[in-house]
Amino acid sequence: MLTCRDLVARSSGFLDGHLRLHERLGVRAHLALCGHCRRFIRQMELSRAVLRHLPEPDAPELEALAERLACERRQR
Amino acid sequence: MTVVPTGSPSDAELLERLRAGEQGAFRELVATYQSAMRAVAFAIVGSRNADEVVQDAWLAVVRNLDGFQARSSLKTWLLTITANTAKSRLRQQRREPLLDDLPAPHGSVDAERFADNGHWQTPPGHWELDTPEALLAEAELRECLDKTVASLSELQSSVLLLHERQGLTPQDICNLLDISLSNLRVLLHRARLKVFATLEHFEETGQC
Ligand SMILES: [Zn+2]
Repeated sequence: MLTCRDLVARSSGFLDGHLRLHERLGVRAHLALCGHCRRFIRQMELSRAVLRHLPEPDAPELEALAERLACERRQR
Repeated sequence: MTVVPTGSPSDAELLERLRAGEQGAFRELVATYQSAMRAVAFAIVGSRNADEVVQDAWLAVVRNLDGFQARSSLKTWLLTITANTAKSRLRQQRREPLLDDLPAPHGSVDAERFADNGHWQTPPGHWELDTPEALLAEAELRECLDKTVASLSELQSSVLLLHERQGLTPQDICNLLDISLSNLRVLLHRARLKVFATLEHFEETGQC
């Protein structure tokens, strides 16, 4: 039987779907019995979604760089 | 790199405008791809030289525009050029140690969270803010997450960015950065736990 510590160690693999069958079954069996770990997995999923939606910092030099590259291109 | 994704129609259209030297097309290109390029450079040469490598990569892109064939996507092509530029830079100087697992502002999910029998000692608590929208509406949290990402080692933050935000496949990331799949998974997992710890801290205290 997996412990909660084992489950946390396997959580990324579980979320990314690359655990071997017996590991995946072990995680599922643990989750069926452990509310703390179910919550942890939900919160890990939420963390990933937050990161995906976190706005990119602005690139202040964008226009100058675009101008320089377009200029380089036209000179070729 | 994987062969499957071929250039999308929008790639072809953008490419035509780039070849014509249209500034707007370059603005679009830079805005879309620069952060992924920076992440690749960051992982290979470290923060100190990443910006220079990205600049050099852009110039190489301009030089090679006519040679680009739509066998790969524009993104794959740009990132490969960036990785190659970074790797040739590495040959000129010693690689900095990049593999460290650095301490993050709110830690990780550490051993102290568990009892001797491996069960939670301090289990995860209820999160009041439970959607990405609700969490990201908090300006303080956005800044806090930026800090956590900045605290990661260069390789960890790059892997996190390329995998979670840029949606690159693990295989593509390994090829670009010359790391093994098992290494990638360790880096990703550690980085995610630190992000988790920051969110947890914010949910509990309402501050960074
Ligand atoms: Zn558990």
